[in-house]
Amino acid sequence: MNCDDYKQAIAADPSFDGGAAHLSGCASCQAYRKDMLSLDARISAALNLRVPELVMPELPDIEVDNVVTLQPKKRNTTTWFAIAATVVIAATLGFRMLSTDIHYESLEAEIIAHLDHEPASLVVTDKGVSDARLAAVVPANLSTMGHSAGLVTYAQTCDINGKTVPHLVIQGERGPVTILLLPDEKIDAAVDLSGEHIDGVLLPVGNGSIAIIGQRGERIDAISNKLRNSVMWDT
Amino acid sequence: MNSSTEATVRRRRFDQLVGVFHADMYRYAAWLSRDRSIAEDVVQEALLRAWKSLDALRDDAAAKPWLLTIVRRENARYFERKRLETVDIDDLSASQEALLAEQPDRELDAMREAIFELDDDYREPLVLQVMMGYSTSEIAELMGLKQGAVLTRLHRARHKLKETLED
Repeated sequence: MNCDDYKQAIAADPSFDGGAAHLSGCASCQAYRKDMLSLDARISAALNLRVPELVMPELPDIEVDNVVTLQPKKRNTTTWFAIAATVVIAATLGFRMLSTDIHYESLEAEIIAHLDHEPASLVVTDKGVSDARLAAVVPANLSTMGHSAGLVTYAQTCDINGKTVPHLVIQGERGPVTILLLPDEKIDAAVDLSGEHIDGVLLPVGNGSIAIIGQRGERIDAISNKLRNSVMWDT
Repeated sequence: MNSSTEATVRRRRFDQLVGVFHADMYRYAAWLSRDRSIAEDVVQEALLRAWKSLDALRDDAAAKPWLLTIVRRENARYFERKRLETVDIDDLSASQEALLAEQPDRELDAMREAIFELDDDYREPLVLQVMMGYSTSEIAELMGLKQGAVLTRLHRARHKLKETLED
């Protein structure tokens, strides 16, 4: 390790503890390290803002039994009564969802709003969902995409415009990229969904469409080309 | 466990997590938005969203990155909605000035101003590393960057701060 390498490493992370052999014989790097540690102490003090008292927002009641979870809860007992009760709850929840349905101005608005529906989907990870999980969410008669468009790290079915559709997340070059396969949402032309922090598009594909939204600077075109060729609905 | 007890347990869990991480959430939001008022709004929205999604958090050990991811997302949403322009240091609102002039300490104020003036791309990883104690790989994960890019940004951030403070 030479002086340039050492200084670069220490400026990126003053806690860097490599290069001890070089450091012990280099007065310049010792001074530089001391300087960076001092700078970091000042940065830390400056960042340490006074925090206002916590004011908890009004939290809505959550129906604990019906909370959406990423994995099914384990059941200790399986009885017909439990199954019947689940059916009743599901029916009730379904009815409530219908009766309290939020109406969006447009399909684009609903798609953008849906991005935050499940924060867990926005985690950057290198762990893909299993092929079985992906196949369950994206049946073969809908799309043959598999992991070809990128590592799929999230796969759930979600409701968009009253239809249950696959909500997938792949890991793009800039972070998570949300994909919604919308076989029943026919549009005439592509709609730009880009904003200050996101790049995205709603693409017409045959009698349906595909929404693709990533972070600003994501290569949406490359992903859309792969997806466009994978869908099986009537094109 | 009946649903009333479950709801109580759920609320207690949430209160505990928020109690531990509220300061981090607020400071992260404040340095992302560079505005105390916006930070408070962002944290309120983030708390609400975290409450609704709490059951997606399987392991409380992962609560901090989970909450900070929500804050980051809420901050982006806020600016999507408001379409705020880049802030000029000479044209600050009272709420932004409050962020900079917190204590009568000239050296600290100068450092705050220098951090405030950093590009978002440089300021955010610095905040995560110095204040949140994140490793460069954790920053890369949260920001969706390669680790090399994070190292470069951190290196440049410190050099920019040094340059600004030495001027």
